[in-house]
Amino acid sequence: MSVNRCVFRSLMLVVMLLSAGEIWAQERERVLDRREHEGYEGWMRIVPTHIKAQYAGGMGVMSVGAGWDYGQKCRWETDLMFGLLPKAYADATHMTFTLRQNYIPWSVQISPRLDLEPLTLGAYINVISGERFWVKEPGKYPDEHYYRFTSRMRLHLALGQRLRLRLPSECVLRDVTLYYELSANDLNIISKACNRYVQLSDIVKFSCGVKFQLFDCRRMQK
Amino acid sequence: MKRFLSLISIAFLVGCVEYHPYDMRIEGVKGVNAANIERIERECASKKELKVAVISDSQRWYDELEDAIEDINSRDDIDFVLHAGDVADFGLRDEFEIQRDMLQKLERPSICLIGNHDCLATGEYVFQEVFGELNFAFTAAGVRFICLNTNALEFDIREPVPNFEFLDEQIRLSPDGGATRSVVVMHAQPYSDQFNNNVATIFQHYLRRFPDLLFCVHGHGHSFREVDIFDDGIVYYQTDCVGHRGYLIFTINEEGYECEQVRF
Repeated sequence: MSVNRCVFRSLMLVVMLLSAGEIWAQERERVLDRREHEGYEGWMRIVPTHIKAQYAGGMGVMSVGAGWDYGQKCRWETDLMFGLLPKAYADATHMTFTLRQNYIPWSVQISPRLDLEPLTLGAYINVISGERFWVKEPGKYPDEHYYRFTSRMRLHLALGQRLRLRLPSECVLRDVTLYYELSANDLNIISKACNRYVQLSDIVKFSCGVKFQLFDCRRMQK
Repeated sequence: MKRFLSLISIAFLVGCVEYHPYDMRIEGVKGVNAANIERIERECASKKELKVAVISDSQRWYDELEDAIEDINSRDDIDFVLHAGDVADFGLRDEFEIQRDMLQKLERPSICLIGNHDCLATGEYVFQEVFGELNFAFTAAGVRFICLNTNALEFDIREPVPNFEFLDEQIRLSPDGGATRSVVVMHAQPYSDQFNNNVATIFQHYLRRFPDLLFCVHGHGHSFREVDIFDDGIVYYQTDCVGHRGYLIFTINEEGYECEQVRF
């Protein structure tokens, strides 16, 4: 456990160094945040602006999904994900569904092709399939609040970083973003809050993924 | 240095990847009970007197469990520790792993029974991988300890709870195990909300068939209690939860047994 903690601190240090580099980059005069909402018009707005694939993160081994970015500088992002937890890692194969909200305050140009998004903040609600899980406690229990929690639905809080690779404009894809996240689920956060024994390294989990920004019609029409 | 850093980063990342809070990718030691039973039977075989600490319901009381372990370790007279169930609160794999690692810090071997909270979601399966069987028995200093799953409410009718076939088998085996006396350990006692109360009296009939049944001990109630539930001389001792900073110590010798309540 203590080795794990030491490693956790080392990783935090790396994250801090990356952030320091980002502040240094901000001091140089150029357009740092190149994000532009090149979204669709009218009814086309319901077409997702990106698709994602993610490894781990409490939503199955792999999950895929689509989402929309919006707001000034595309700072907000809402995703719907579908994940799979195969039988090899559980009692049976389970499906998971996730609704996720992200906030990405900054984007920093580090080269003509590359942007760093030094901080992403996210929250996601995940539900899992299977008879052993419940949202409302089954009727067999003597009262409605026998256990006082839901095993089917989990809320996760996450923070992470991203690297965005801008592709040449003739590509169908606008850009590809690699990201990682450190997340913790609600039940573990409660355990940590009530016990000094429980360390951050016990409850913080790593996940990573890739986001494909889809082509946008406005640019295609030009 | 750089290579070392990247190596430990990779080790960290692999170590804390989680597919789902209820997945069953268990890290660390598995089958804790079997290994500890082997040690208890070996170390206590020739003893004349046994001192057994019984803790229970340590779910989400990590700080208190740490203190309980420290308190038990500070004594030098305990032979082994029984945990009467509920190591997990939500049935999460993380909870089983953390509490298992804590119990491993006990200087004396510990045995863990399944509690109703341990059965939730995939907890039932994680418990069996981490600790072991739901019903089991072992012998220490001529005393047979019968450890039972009594959380009938969690198993519906998928599993026989309590398992009379297991009890029958143990009653038949008893004289062969070299045990002349018996103690029954469970999480939820007869007539509690978890027990299959339709068979409570039959359960007691079975228990009375064990050679020289001394007493029963259980958790679940989160308080100290001594009740002769069936009015037949068999006392059911309920140990307080770890959260209330209490546990029981049983001293069993040729003259009989004594029960002591400990606050830490």
